[in-house]
Amino acid sequence: MPEELPDLTPEMKAAIGKSGPPTTYEVTSLGIRTFGRAVGYKNPIYFDAAAAKAAGHKDLVAPPGYLGMPVFNPNATAGRGVDFETPFKRNLNGGTGVFPLERVYAGDVLDAVTTLVELKLDRGRLGQMLIRTSETVYTRKSDGKVVAKTRGTGLSY
Amino acid sequence: MAQTMWDDVKEGQEISLTEQTSSQRLVIWAAASGDFYQIHYDDNFAKGNNLPDIIVHGALKGMLVGRLLDEFAGDKGWIEMWDVSYRGMDKAREDITIWGKVTKKYQEGGKNLVDLDVGVKKVDGTETTPGRATVSLPKK
Repeated sequence: MPEELPDLTPEMKAAIGKSGPPTTYEVTSLGIRTFGRAVGYKNPIYFDAAAAKAAGHKDLVAPPGYLGMPVFNPNATAGRGVDFETPFKRNLNGGTGVFPLERVYAGDVLDAVTTLVELKLDRGRLGQMLIRTSETVYTRKSDGKVVAKTRGTGLSY
Repeated sequence: MAQTMWDDVKEGQEISLTEQTSSQRLVIWAAASGDFYQIHYDDNFAKGNNLPDIIVHGALKGMLVGRLLDEFAGDKGWIEMWDVSYRGMDKAREDITIWGKVTKKYQEGGKNLVDLDVGVKKVDGTETTPGRATVSLPKK
């Protein structure tokens, strides 16, 4: 069990409201199809570019919530959020909110910027937990449009 | 697939999908999401972390709710938002039911909207992923 914190540390308090550096996400045909397959979509606009075009789309469509994958670089330091020291080493995904604003297509490249909006200590069945709520804004590089916003809740204990 | 029209939707209307959660599906999800945490596909690792078995990724459940809503909205509808909390774990290899229930039907800002309660239930009926959503639909 990690050491209990009486309150958020000054470093944690200072991180609230801060944004991390932009992360590049690539939306590829392969990524769209793998996502569609895992989630069990059947609609051909998510698998077949010709069917997507026949339905009036400019290319293969990304299903709602699919915003590509961060470009993997083994030489870059990890982390897209706002960092601080914490005694809590185990993490759980607490929740997801998705606000789709524009259709996303194969070939789109997105800039994702994550802002830490809330940080609080709470107590659950796993003991003391740090609950962080972040918002990420995804902007398409080609036209500057915000295509989606997401909200994520992370639990550290 | 038939297009859902706003006019035909009734408050209290229910929609659902029942889905399998095989280890193979979780591996495909790992590839799709880039979440390679071993509690989702390595039995020994999961048991070493005091879990009863490998467990379903929360984000997969969240995106299954997205698919339920996308199939409800149809090609001419649009999901305005959905938001779910991962409150309970789902052991892999057990079916889950992704559900939605229309709570409100209204027009706002020129849109024909429907609010829903959504969630994911285990075979025994336990709710693990409660949330809410708003979908806009075409009108006749």
